[in-house]
Amino acid sequence: MFEFVNTLLIGITAGSIYSLMAIAIVLVWRSTRVVNFAAGGIALASTFVGSTILEITGSFWIALPVAMLAGAALSAFIEYFFLRPLLKRSGDKNQEIFLPIIATLGILGIMKAVLHFIYGEKIGVLSPPLSDKGFIVSGESIALSPLRLLILGIVLLLMIALTLIFQRTNIGLSLRAASFAPEISRLSGIRVDLVRTVGWAISGAAGATAGILQTVNGSGAVTPEAFEFSLLLVFGFVAAVIGGIESLVGAVVGGLTLGIILAIILMYLGSSLVFFAAFLILILVLLLRPNGIIGVKGGRRA
Amino acid sequence: MGAVHSRHITNKHRFIGFVLIGLVVYILSNIVDEWRAYQGATVAVFVVAIASVILLTGYSGQISLGHGALLAVGAYTAALTQIYFSAPIWICFVAAVLSTALFGAILGAAAARLSGPYLAGTTLALAVGLLSIANQFSILGGEQGITFDAGWPPLSLGETFTQYKWFLWIATLTALISLWWIQNILRSRYGRSWRAVKSNEVAAELVGIHLGRSKVLAFTVSAGIAGLAGALLAMTVNNVSPSAFPLALSFSIATGAVLSGVNTLGGVMIGSLALVAIPLIATSISDRWSGSENLATVLPDFIVSALLILTVFIAPKGPIEKHRSRHSK
Repeated sequence: MFEFVNTLLIGITAGSIYSLMAIAIVLVWRSTRVVNFAAGGIALASTFVGSTILEITGSFWIALPVAMLAGAALSAFIEYFFLRPLLKRSGDKNQEIFLPIIATLGILGIMKAVLHFIYGEKIGVLSPPLSDKGFIVSGESIALSPLRLLILGIVLLLMIALTLIFQRTNIGLSLRAASFAPEISRLSGIRVDLVRTVGWAISGAAGATAGILQTVNGSGAVTPEAFEFSLLLVFGFVAAVIGGIESLVGAVVGGLTLGIILAIILMYLGSSLVFFAAFLILILVLLLRPNGIIGVKGGRRA
Repeated sequence: MGAVHSRHITNKHRFIGFVLIGLVVYILSNIVDEWRAYQGATVAVFVVAIASVILLTGYSGQISLGHGALLAVGAYTAALTQIYFSAPIWICFVAAVLSTALFGAILGAAAARLSGPYLAGTTLALAVGLLSIANQFSILGGEQGITFDAGWPPLSLGETFTQYKWFLWIATLTALISLWWIQNILRSRYGRSWRAVKSNEVAAELVGIHLGRSKVLAFTVSAGIAGLAGALLAMTVNNVSPSAFPLALSFSIATGAVLSGVNTLGGVMIGSLALVAIPLIATSISDRWSGSENLATVLPDFIVSALLILTVFIAPKGPIEKHRSRHSK
């Protein structure tokens, strides 16, 4: 029982980080109908920025916001200079999603190569701001540490912020309108192109946070070829798809589901089955609900 | 829309073209050294793999980011067939095609219900997940993998006939035969129904095409071809292990398909050549400019990625279609 609760706690922490990455992917999909593999590269690059800032200032609390800003700027840059012209060119053929996927894969490749060139074999160190020693409950150390609490807190805070942005602000309303009906939004005076760039920027910030938290929660170091980031990208994408790729709530549900189930499998069945389990979960969910847990058939939601 | 084939090219012309390509490879194989022969065989492997993606994505409209996993199924089947039945190599190839096609049919039954990002996610998770179970079963050999030994060239070809030249012959012949078969099936009623489903599902259904069946069939055929590519790959590297089929392989195949022009089979050589040649070019560039080891490791990926983005922008339908449309203007 004790072990099971610990496993749950580990799963929820990992799952909340996947949720953030899933949110990054969902935001881009909603605003431009692009499956954004560059999100992995954006997270990686911003984590390097974060580690550099941490090295200079020594404060995690300066490094995190700077990394988020860097992620937002990078993401907006990619949208403005690569995806916007590409989508303009291919017109409004909605079913054509293969080329944008490949384009973002290319951008991911370039970002990794550039980071590798700059940093070489050096690793970026991101030491956790709080202790990762578990709290002591009735003489035993549990998996909940100050660090994990911090991670959960940051994720929760970001989710509340995003909900407020989407439900209570004008820019949130424009974001929803522009993804629901771009043409009508344009007619009613929303600058759809600008709004899309904003969507990408928020996605970049979410991805940057996911990257930093993943590093802090893991080894505390980051390299350009870090396996942790491929993991983050793949699981984030799987979580987004499980959740229905359109919905922010779905992304969170998908991320937590994936995190918890994988933690249980890791604990009781061993590490080599984790990736295959992710595939099985995805297939099972999609067989039962082809549009994800929160998806709606053939539709859209604002 | 889709591939527009000029009327005056008949199947006879194409057959002559295939024979000519075979002849060129035959002559080249007698000139080049072992290393180049190995690279030539790799190009042929990529030709088959990329053709399977083009069939699936370009003609049937289904996305796959996980063809590396299908290659792995073919490779493991070929190796296991050889180890347990000591079958001749061509039987191993047939077994690889059949088992991967069966696997593809099961996967395709699930995939036919999915579209767009859902299908992309599923195939991506497959590429990451399938290989990890190699560690679960001892007959698959874990991380070390199992050997697949295509054998020495027959003595009748002479004493000096080298190993990789033999591989190059086998791979090229297999690639030519499968390409010939693919281009025929794409022109058959199956190929036409795939294109119809891709361009308009409702219209295709109205003329009596069964959507699900058509999609599953395309997935099955594509998987079978991918399995063949996997068996060929196992032959050229003599071994089948999880590390031979990383996610990067799946991405390379998708990349090659885009560089070739994903909607036309004709450009399939371009992508395969690019995937094999770019690392070599990159190495020679970095050698000439600087001895920086760092640059040498980074440059191939950078050039492939940059080329990919350029292709998506300049010739989204591929170099062949680009050339064609310029001439028809």
